[in-house]
Amino acid sequence: MKVRLEAVRRTYGTVTALDGVTAGFAAGTLTAIMGPSGSGKSTLLHCAAGLDRPTEGTVVIDGTDLGSLNEHGLTVLRRERIGFVFQAFNLVSALTAEQNVALPLRLAGRPAAPELVRRALAQVGLADRAGHRPSGLSGGEQQRVAIARALITKPAVVFADEPTGQLDTQTSRQVLGMLRRLVDDHAQTMIMVTHDPVTASYADRVIFLEDGRVVDEFTGALTAETVAARMAGTC
Amino acid sequence: MLSFATVRERWQSFAGGFVVLSLGMALVSMSALALASAGPRVPDRLAGTPVFVSAPRLDRADGSFAPDRPWSPETVASLVEELSAIPGVAQAVPDRAFYAQPVIGGRPAPSERGHAWSTATLAPYRLTAGTAPRKGETVVDRSLGLTPGTEVSVLTARGPVTFTVSGTVDGPGVFLNDAEAAPLSTGVRAIGLVAEPGADVAAIAKAAGRFADVLTGDGRSVLESRDDERTRWIGMQILTGMAVLSALVSVLVVGSTFAVGVAQRRREFGLLRAVGATPRQIRAMVYGEALVVGVAATAAGVAAGALLAPVLGAVLVDVGFEPAGFAVALSPLPLAGSFAGGVVLTLVAVWSASRRAARVGPLEALREAEVDDRPMPRLRWITGLASCALGVASAVSSDGEGAFVMSGLVAAVGVIAGLALLSPVVVPPVAHYASWPFTRGRGAVGMLVRENARTAVRRTAATATPVLVTIGCAVLITGMVQTTAAGFAAVRATTIRADAVIVPDGTPGLTDVSGGESSLFSAVFEANGDPLSTIGATPELLKTAGDTSGPLDELRHDDRVLIAEWLAEDRGLRPGAVLPVSFEDGTSARLTVAGTVRNADADVLVSRDLLRSHDPAVLADEAYVVGTAPDPGPGARVVDVAAYAAEADAEEDRLVWIATLLLVVVSTAYAGVAIVNTMVMSAAGRVRDLEVLRLSGATPRQVRGTVAAESALVVLLGAGLGTVVALPALFGIRGAFAEAMNTDVPLVIPWPLIGGLVAVCLVLAAGASVLAATTKVGR
Repeated sequence: MKVRLEAVRRTYGTVTALDGVTAGFAAGTLTAIMGPSGSGKSTLLHCAAGLDRPTEGTVVIDGTDLGSLNEHGLTVLRRERIGFVFQAFNLVSALTAEQNVALPLRLAGRPAAPELVRRALAQVGLADRAGHRPSGLSGGEQQRVAIARALITKPAVVFADEPTGQLDTQTSRQVLGMLRRLVDDHAQTMIMVTHDPVTASYADRVIFLEDGRVVDEFTGALTAETVAARMAGTC
Repeated sequence: MLSFATVRERWQSFAGGFVVLSLGMALVSMSALALASAGPRVPDRLAGTPVFVSAPRLDRADGSFAPDRPWSPETVASLVEELSAIPGVAQAVPDRAFYAQPVIGGRPAPSERGHAWSTATLAPYRLTAGTAPRKGETVVDRSLGLTPGTEVSVLTARGPVTFTVSGTVDGPGVFLNDAEAAPLSTGVRAIGLVAEPGADVAAIAKAAGRFADVLTGDGRSVLESRDDERTRWIGMQILTGMAVLSALVSVLVVGSTFAVGVAQRRREFGLLRAVGATPRQIRAMVYGEALVVGVAATAAGVAAGALLAPVLGAVLVDVGFEPAGFAVALSPLPLAGSFAGGVVLTLVAVWSASRRAARVGPLEALREAEVDDRPMPRLRWITGLASCALGVASAVSSDGEGAFVMSGLVAAVGVIAGLALLSPVVVPPVAHYASWPFTRGRGAVGMLVRENARTAVRRTAATATPVLVTIGCAVLITGMVQTTAAGFAAVRATTIRADAVIVPDGTPGLTDVSGGESSLFSAVFEANGDPLSTIGATPELLKTAGDTSGPLDELRHDDRVLIAEWLAEDRGLRPGAVLPVSFEDGTSARLTVAGTVRNADADVLVSRDLLRSHDPAVLADEAYVVGTAPDPGPGARVVDVAAYAAEADAEEDRLVWIATLLLVVVSTAYAGVAIVNTMVMSAAGRVRDLEVLRLSGATPRQVRGTVAAESALVVLLGAGLGTVVALPALFGIRGAFAEAMNTDVPLVIPWPLIGGLVAVCLVLAAGASVLAATTKVGR
């Protein structure tokens, strides 16, 4: 298991966002976390990724218990072992695509070899856009740069929060196909939060959350229809 | 990499900081250059003489310009004899100077110094026409336009004297025959040793050292006149004040610029944190940005300062903050120092902003709304309150006397810093109540204005703060200056019991024949050389003006002295005791203590005749007339008591007022930059709001109206707060002053000036916000 959550609870004041979630995420799989608004899926992602600390329970990433790390240790772990793709506001506007991709390496004080960066950009099909700033890239291109950046450190796991939330259908399909290929070809572990059955259908496994609890989970050949049907069943 | 790229990409948000810093550093480097050039100079008229010997000089307190004891006439004579005998010395010339002001076309000429003809060789000044003066003759500065053979009336301390011009000279001043100059001159404190051609100057200096203190090279600069020394001292205060104020305000404005920038970029910092930046790296990044801006802005500012410094030098001489002949020299050290200081100041300014940026958590990248509800840090509370307290305390303790500039500055700076720090707490609740009138109307604009000003706490505070600071300081400082000036005038008016006053007109003082009753202000010296300030006056005069009390009739005797109470106590002098003193002319006398006096404005009182006989050069500041005023002659005029009370000290008041205006203008310039900066920076963050407003059916005109009204509200708020904060301090000053002076002191505040400043702020704020909103949202 690359990522394991053990009885994770997270409360904000009197509101319980996560109510004892236990889940494991195997290496080389793409897992989708689904649920209605306020079900706790974003909180789950934040806790699993070390962006937020659980009130109770443990999170283990690649053998490291996040609870044992201080803020600095957590930052270093995020930098070295975790990649992020957010819905939007994903790139530093002052930097070119290339510089954005190289950012995690530079922050870690590691040499950002140009060919490594270029290979990462080529992987997402943007080798020719390396010198562009985010303002000169389309939404899909921006998101692909963000994916290349998430992958540059060869992370144990990539977390994606509504990665296609602001993209049109056509572009969404491209981006999701690419994520899928990364899992299949490079055995990348990936966890994404979405409310869209089409997006979830690219996953190996779907976890349904409601009121902070895991209420359903299924694997196998997924299509948008089967996911939607299951959703209708649970909600 | 990131810092550079960010500054390049977001240059608008750094532009304000850049401008403020450049402006501040231009002022700082100009002041630094001027200060570096403002050291004492060897007076031109002594520059050609390599070696001087001088009478012993006492260490004086900063800001004291009391004279040193001159040599006695016998000592001068024997020194001249001994020094002339030194091998290589062509001539030993005692430096004799006195008051001598030619009257040309019925008006006193600007030049007012007289010298013994022999001292012309010290410069050396050469005859450009005619011959050296004999008895009854004079050699004058050729720029006066007098030709040899003409007659000229020269004002001296004893009155006008007519001389025949025997020649002209290529230097300033009036030169008299030595025998005629000696009885008019002040005491001799320096003797110049004119060397023979090719003589060994070092050997002369060594030989002269056996007789008196020797001054050579730049050491001769201590021979500059007391007036120049005093002018330079005032200039130093002004320049230091300007530099300190500029630096402080730069720090505050740059700090707040970066703070706003950081607040606007929380999402970006969150993103960086999420992809692996440690808090330390975020801090380093903010510091890096500051460094890029700081280095560029400081370099630009210092370059501008170097270019403008000579202009500043000329202005300082014109307004009387530096003596004539002062020029700003470009030297590398002050420029390098200003540059380094500017960069360090920038880094200090962003300290708080960088800490705030580093505290942004990675989750901020995912937050939807930018909510800013964090409480103000405790440290900020403490420092804010402490600075306010310090400022107000300093204002209240100001006695309106010599240290005025300094205490005024401390008061201003304390209140500036304190209010700037406390503004996030103070401004929002005031905005809430002050915007109450806007709830009355039914229009959308009123509602929008009120709600925007209340909810956009940061923007409101950031705009109101510079206005508050500027207006508060302007009211405080200008009010303090004018109130103290009015207070002194009120005191004078109540203590003068005369029908009219004769005052100098184009001259430094009154001669003995100007008429009326006058006193002479000079000094006598104790046995150890310590100066005692001395007034020579008649009992009649002291009863007419001022509130001096004591056995004043004793001053009818030339061998009596009245002493201040502190002196009697300190020296154990009782009536009948003998006080040995020496006078300005170097002669000594044993005076009998006749009693003590109160409120005398000097340490000792002697009869006017006694003082005049021992100080032939001193002039009276004013003369009082009972009954009908006589014709005072050239260089003096008659005014009534009320006019005199208002205009006495006018010269000093003028200097203080110019300094005050300088401070106010500088701080208003900063406030202007800060306001425009805040408006431009916050416009970017408001695009969405304004778009929503447009989509909701607001016309472009309504949008502009809302924006303009909002900024006007905030400016008026800041101005009101500033005034309200400054007024109690002013009342405190007035109270303390009135008590000390034992009279009614009116509170004077230059409201037109304050109104003008508020108008400038209003125009800047409304203009900048409307422009910024228009360009962002479009029509």
